[in-house]
Amino acid sequence: MAGKSSANRGKRWPAPAFRLSDWFSDHRRAIAETFEFVSLRLGSSLFVWLLVGIALALPAALRLAQQNFVALDDGWQGQPGLTVYFTVGTEPDNVAGVQAQLRQSSSVAAIQLTDAEQALQEFMAASADSSSLTAALVRLPENPLPATLQVSVVSDASLEELGALREQLVGLDGVDEVVIERTWLELLRNLTQLVERLGLILGVLFALGAVLVTAASVRLAIESRLEELRVLSLVGATRAQIRRPFLYFGVFYGLGGAVVAAMLLAITLTAIEAPLTALLGSYDIPVHVHGFGVVFLLTLLGVGMGLGVIGALVAVRQRIRGVQEMAD
Amino acid sequence: MSAIVFERVTKRFDNGQEALSEISVEFASGSMTFLTGHSGAGKSTFLRLLIGAETATRGRIYVDDVDISRLGARRMPWYRREVGVVFQDHNLLLEHSVFDNVALPLRINHLGEREVASRVRGALGKVELLGKEHLMPSQLSTGEQQRVGIARAVVGRPKILLADEPTGNLDPDLARSVMELFGRFNELGTTVLIASHDIALIQSLGMPTLNLAAGRIADTNGVLDGG
Repeated sequence: MAGKSSANRGKRWPAPAFRLSDWFSDHRRAIAETFEFVSLRLGSSLFVWLLVGIALALPAALRLAQQNFVALDDGWQGQPGLTVYFTVGTEPDNVAGVQAQLRQSSSVAAIQLTDAEQALQEFMAASADSSSLTAALVRLPENPLPATLQVSVVSDASLEELGALREQLVGLDGVDEVVIERTWLELLRNLTQLVERLGLILGVLFALGAVLVTAASVRLAIESRLEELRVLSLVGATRAQIRRPFLYFGVFYGLGGAVVAAMLLAITLTAIEAPLTALLGSYDIPVHVHGFGVVFLLTLLGVGMGLGVIGALVAVRQRIRGVQEMAD
Repeated sequence: MSAIVFERVTKRFDNGQEALSEISVEFASGSMTFLTGHSGAGKSTFLRLLIGAETATRGRIYVDDVDISRLGARRMPWYRREVGVVFQDHNLLLEHSVFDNVALPLRINHLGEREVASRVRGALGKVELLGKEHLMPSQLSTGEQQRVGIARAVVGRPKILLADEPTGNLDPDLARSVMELFGRFNELGTTVLIASHDIALIQSLGMPTLNLAAGRIADTNGVLDGG
């Protein structure tokens, strides 16, 4: 019966003193274990990297495409404008009147006149290879080409301002048609938006895929070491000590996947740059395909690592939770 | 001073089976006690409660005046570092060498590699396995594996040493030498609690016994009955 109701009861089990060197040594050991585990199962690890890499590559490619569209858009910022087409035979005074009106607009940066005679000469020069066409033009009683005005607008002019300017010009004497050149730009911007949204949706889906692949791989790693984890728990390993190597698995798989994704992107960009430049060049669109820089690469690695850790956390939460209690 | 105190401890499993009923008992610090009884008497549950692998349905378990039945997941590992456990099936890590198996509790407790090596060799010396530290467990006999398990349990110099049927797979001579080994650790001040149904061996050692039957204390011989 002795000592049954000691006054000291209710004490808490003393905690060991926290030492930073212990914390670092735990991490070193976890990293070493991860390297050992991965190097012993290199085939399956490469497979995981490839799966995660493919899952990361598509959204990363869309992001890169979107950045290129934006760069193209930015490249066109200095070129937006209007083209004013006059009816054939419009008097120079009417053309001058339109020019004067345009100069009053704050949206207009520059005006370049191509009169009917100049347009004809340029056309003749451009058609020099076709002698029958130039001969036919010479025989015409009057110049069939109209005068035109190329109007450059200030870079921050909105589409609404251009529309309003166009409305003013359409009603003037001699003006046949006014074309807003920003239509192409708007198309590009719509395309950029589409790619951005598509990238976001696919990014979320493929990120989920990367998380699930990592979670499944880490779960398999946990299953293969379950007995070891039980023993570790019995000899006093903390929950953090038990789960830490598996979080490093997540980091390793995520980083490896991101490196694979970067390699896939680099190969794809190299493969498509020449045909893409040729294709867009044929539409007089000056294109320089932008690859990915250091920031993009670091972001990709960071995202890969983050997704890997999330996947590992999912697996660890599912599987390691009861290890301390199930110690046998 | 009592190292271990069970106060009206009951353990009922989810299936309704009551493995222990209203157990009250005390084990003095530095004592060595055998837990006896037939299979299903509650010996393993008794030890599992002590290492925190199970939680008591009712009652309190005190170790050094700390209620370990209410320790919580955060402090449980720190408590387990003070308890050495030996199992009948050894629970050795088969992919790790003898050295690494014995070193496990020390590395978890952040001891430097030099001290780890020194202590591991010391523990292996006590169980007469010095020179076999680089072998894998599968290269050892059953008796040697059991001694590796014992070395791992004592290498961290625990306050309490628990053993669940540690001689179950051993021949009588080896069983006796293992029990004598526990006796030597006990002489160093470790509180030792051994679950065994080898009555003949226990009687020959003349140590205190706590006999369980159907989850209740059937007999105490030299143990402080807390009831």
